Amino acid sequence: MNPDEAEFLGEKQFISIIPTFNSGVVHLISGDVGPFRASLPTRVPLWMAINLKQQQKCKIQHPEWMNVDQLERIKEDEKKDKFFTKMPSEQYMIEAKLLLGCASDDVPKADDIRTIIKDIWDIRMAKLRSSVNNVLKSADSYAEFKNLTVMEINSIRPILPHALDQIYRMKINKHQGAQSTTLSTPFRTSTSFSNLS
Amino acid sequence: MYGEKGFALIKELSRCKETLPPYNTDLVNAVSNEIKQLLEQIKDAQSTSDNESALVTAGSKISTITIAHAGIKRNLRCLLSYHYNRIKCLRTMRWEFGSILPADIKVNLSAEEIEWFSKYSQMLASYMRSIGDEGVNLAIDMKPPKALYIEVRCLVDYGRFELTDGSVLLLKKDSRHYLPRSECEELIRQGVFQHIV
Amino acid sequence: MYSLTDTENLLLSSDEEEDVQLTPAEVIEMMEGAWINEKFAPEILPHRSEIVDCLLAQVTSMEENIQGLDSSDFKKSIHQLEVDRLRFLVSSYLRTRLEKIECYSTHILKEEAERSRRGEESYLSEQESVFARNFSQGLEFYFDKLLNFYPGLPTESWSSRIIEPNLHSFIFVKSKTDVEGVIIDDGTDGDDLADFRAGTPILISYNSVSGLVKKGDVNLI
Repeated sequence: MNPDEAEFLGEKQFISIIPTFNSGVVHLISGDVGPFRASLPTRVPLWMAINLKQQQKCKIQHPEWMNVDQLERIKEDEKKDKFFTKMPSEQYMIEAKLLLGCASDDVPKADDIRTIIKDIWDIRMAKLRSSVNNVLKSADSYAEFKNLTVMEINSIRPILPHALDQIYRMKINKHQGAQSTTLSTPFRTSTSFSNLS
Repeated sequence: MYGEKGFALIKELSRCKETLPPYNTDLVNAVSNEIKQLLEQIKDAQSTSDNESALVTAGSKISTITIAHAGIKRNLRCLLSYHYNRIKCLRTMRWEFGSILPADIKVNLSAEEIEWFSKYSQMLASYMRSIGDEGVNLAIDMKPPKALYIEVRCLVDYGRFELTDGSVLLLKKDSRHYLPRSECEELIRQGVFQHIV
Repeated sequence: MYSLTDTENLLLSSDEEEDVQLTPAEVIEMMEGAWINEKFAPEILPHRSEIVDCLLAQVTSMEENIQGLDSSDFKKSIHQLEVDRLRFLVSSYLRTRLEKIECYSTHILKEEAERSRRGEESYLSEQESVFARNFSQGLEFYFDKLLNFYPGLPTESWSSRIIEPNLHSFIFVKSKTDVEGVIIDDGTDGDDLADFRAGTPILISYNSVSGLVKKGDVNLI
């Protein structure tokens, strides 16, 4: 799954905006949003919030967790915990990228937040690399990645699945070799469609 | 050595990652001729063994046949791979360029490839027309839609430009504009606008 | 002008036969799930053309409504953006399936014939079946022509080696509820079991969960 597509999915998340306009309910195919009263917060999907922001028709209310103190706490937890901590949002990286990208004026201490989130990401990535190492060394056919978000999972595709696929082939060959003297089935390439449109 | 020409076909293709090199009729014919020669060799080996002492010649006949057979399989594999990979590349081009291929690509194709392309194009169009009530053009909407508004710089003195809502812009060289993406796409394609990311 | 009731009516009429009432939001949710599953599954999955048709009908109807809106109305760009998003979703889903059909045409047609023989539902929609047959014939015609420079070539060695999807490739899954006793296919005859906890991403071979994916008990991510 490429980053654009991951972002596409993440943009469905709802977020609060403060509109600068008045309007009745907007009937989207995916549901109703509004009514909109200037200065009164209302919840809309992230893709709509960004669009309105670009047309200078609203301010975006950053999610509760997007503040320096809470993020520092999360960072400390992440450092201390051997495993992955549960992030305040499944889409934390996407929300951060979009909000800090086009609505940074609505996020207090945006630069600090950007840095802390990057730090959290780096800590999690480092843990992920050693997890991947362990999975490969133990040659398991099964692994759990509790509390990992989709963006992080995307970062180990396709390398981890491909590596496990090679290990699987070796296991199969060893198993079949032990059972019979006939040649094993020809290698079929592992094809992933996740990068194609 | 048998199979060298077949391998040369493959190497030629792998050198050209981006586009299709001209269809190498000479090399393809050379490989086909080699296959014919090898088949003749097998026929000869099989027929003369009737007249001669079976024990004396069986061994060398078997080697000749085995090697010729292996040579044929190798050449066939190269031939098929060459043609199959070219077809795959052509297929991608249908999605990139539509049903009419640019002349500089068409000139590199064999008559059969052009025929295949035309058939593929038709079956694809036919499939697309049959989706839903009115058909869906699957060759557009290749990426998730992003920001509706984009910033562009005008690269030439274009003059008056009318937007779909009727308003008129004066496009002078180096002027920057913040416009809906759909309005700009054509002018970006023409080289009038440059998208500022 | 459009109204909410128009949308509701559309949905009900397309689902009348199935007697299932779904909100448009639920249909979109299902389309997204189908899209992601299709992206990551190595084989082609059972088609969801009822969802595709339903969503396309919603989109076309909304596009008609948008035409009537004033260009300077900012809501027009919002609706257009949603329409673009849904068109991308449907197109990408159908494109992914087409790529698999082209890559594995012989194999898929073989499996479809067997399903038909067993009285099971096809995985391909009717339109896809037509395309698959045309595509397969196109390739056959092309390669037969290529190889008839010498009649009697030993072609069985390649025509019997059909390109098949790698069903043991590794994928990530998540289940909505706890699932117990999933047999892990690890290439040996071992029967290790795994328990899936709801919401936890799991890396496992596709073979082990293909049945669960097709039933909808787990989702690929």
